[in-house]
Amino acid sequence: MLTVKNVSKTFENGVVALKNISFDIKKGEFFVVIGLSGSGKSSLLRCINRSIQPTSGTITFKGQDITKIQGDKLRRIRSQMGMIFQHFNLIPRYSVLKNVLVGSLHHTPILSSIFGNFSKEDIEKARYYLKIVGLLEIESQRADSLSGGQKQRVAIARALMQNPSLLLADEPVASLDPSTSHSVMKYLKKINEDLGITIICNLHFLSLVREYGQRVLALKNGEVVYQGMPTEIDQNWFKKIYGEDAKEVEIN
Amino acid sequence: MKKNFILFKGLFVEFLLWIHSFLILKKVIFEKFILGTRYLSFNWNELIFCAVAGLIVSLLLFFLTPNVSLGKALYFKELRSKKLTSSPFFYNGLFHFILTLITSIYISQVSLKEFFSSEGLQGAQRIFMALATPNFGIINETIFSAVETIYIAFLATILSIPFAFFLSFFSSKNLVKNAPFFRVTYSLLRLLMNLSRSIEPLIWAIIFSVWVGIGPFSGMLALWVHSIASLTKLYSEQIEAIDEGLVEAIAATGAHPIQIIWFGVVPQIVIPFMSFTIYRWDINVRMATIIGLVGGGGIGTLLMQYQGMAMWHEVGLLVIVIALIVWLMDFLSSKVRESIK
Repeated sequence: MLTVKNVSKTFENGVVALKNISFDIKKGEFFVVIGLSGSGKSSLLRCINRSIQPTSGTITFKGQDITKIQGDKLRRIRSQMGMIFQHFNLIPRYSVLKNVLVGSLHHTPILSSIFGNFSKEDIEKARYYLKIVGLLEIESQRADSLSGGQKQRVAIARALMQNPSLLLADEPVASLDPSTSHSVMKYLKKINEDLGITIICNLHFLSLVREYGQRVLALKNGEVVYQGMPTEIDQNWFKKIYGEDAKEVEIN
Repeated sequence: MKKNFILFKGLFVEFLLWIHSFLILKKVIFEKFILGTRYLSFNWNELIFCAVAGLIVSLLLFFLTPNVSLGKALYFKELRSKKLTSSPFFYNGLFHFILTLITSIYISQVSLKEFFSSEGLQGAQRIFMALATPNFGIINETIFSAVETIYIAFLATILSIPFAFFLSFFSSKNLVKNAPFFRVTYSLLRLLMNLSRSIEPLIWAIIFSVWVGIGPFSGMLALWVHSIASLTKLYSEQIEAIDEGLVEAIAATGAHPIQIIWFGVVPQIVIPFMSFTIYRWDINVRMATIIGLVGGGGIGTLLMQYQGMAMWHEVGLLVIVIALIVWLMDFLSSKVRESIK
């Protein structure tokens, strides 16, 4: 479904974020990327949805080379990839429902969207996805009045609204407490299993990786240091990825 | 190359300081105080002489005694010692400072004799007494023109909003950085806005009074132009300070650039924009009063008329009403801005 081949990224200020990264993702996978902050996890996700332009290498999505596409073509590809963020990135003063409807902007005419005229089907669809993430009863509340976990679930509903075949999650639980983290991860697992949406997820905690990930890629200083099953990451691998002094912490 | 350029800059500063000091020494200290000349005249030969003398002195100081040169100390940190007063260049600077101070006192024609003359003090007493006993007979006329001032300021503010709103998006660095065409319009707009902002509303009022005739309309136009320029700047600074995360999130849904702005940028700036706009109206009321002095209508024009006829009791009332309006607008605008936060 997604092939990343020899992708490198050097920023304009000379920082090398990614060095020659290659991997394949099959449809329906729950793929996890781990590594320290600054290891290039976020840059990798942003190269995939082309928020940033890879310096070299190719990215193939559903058989189409998307490394250099621009304009409307790029927007069409982006609409097929949902994305959720560490800081949720909802519109604070808008209602929950309207935030979810943002996911349908790509097929809503510009003028209608500006006047807030979303189609009946879209509004129904938005309610349906809010129900999936268990937030239907608060659809008219303002997004800035929600808790962190609720915000991330709204963000998931917004991503689902795009009808994506791939979901990119950039440290979705990094600013949440442990129990909320599990709740959000369970929703991601649910949409992965029930709706068959492929997920690429950046994570910090190894315990979450073992519980939810099917395959894992570890980055260190922009390079791949490990690729395989999460269960096979033992103490030695852990030290290789996180450094000699690191200690593993459990998150329950 | 770079070091030579810095050296040149330092030398240039030293050179300018010494031309200035030589001119003052010759014209003010020598001609005025020593010879007692009544009227100082300008001539080019003197300027050239001072320039040559300045060049020689600054070159000598700069290259022979580097720690006396102020220009060099400005660009080379290592020449500065811990204690400022123990460095020789400090006394060099002090010399220029004292000469400048003497000249400014001379140019301002400071005179303690005038300030404390009995005639002068009587005049001051007369005008303060008149201001303290305002003539309430013209209260209707005064309130009418005060209201006029507020309306002029209101219209100028309202009419500037759509222009400033539209232009601010094109003069925000974070929105134009990826499009070469808009980067050009960005620089042009910034230049244009800085130019029109640096022309005071008073000057704009003079320009428009020639264009559309003296009166409230020219005053309104003057405030309008100045408001567009300053609101554009305030608005665009707000746009530059937005959270880029939301913009990225909207872009990631595959939205059109216009939708990205409408859903990613606009919700973040609406409240600060409203706050800036109300503040601007407050400023415009104050400026409208000043513009009235050159015929821009409203209470300022009235003040000019009574002042011209030396009717100080009437002026007293106008001063009180102006102070009241300014205080009231300030109070109201801060209340409103607080409540929409």
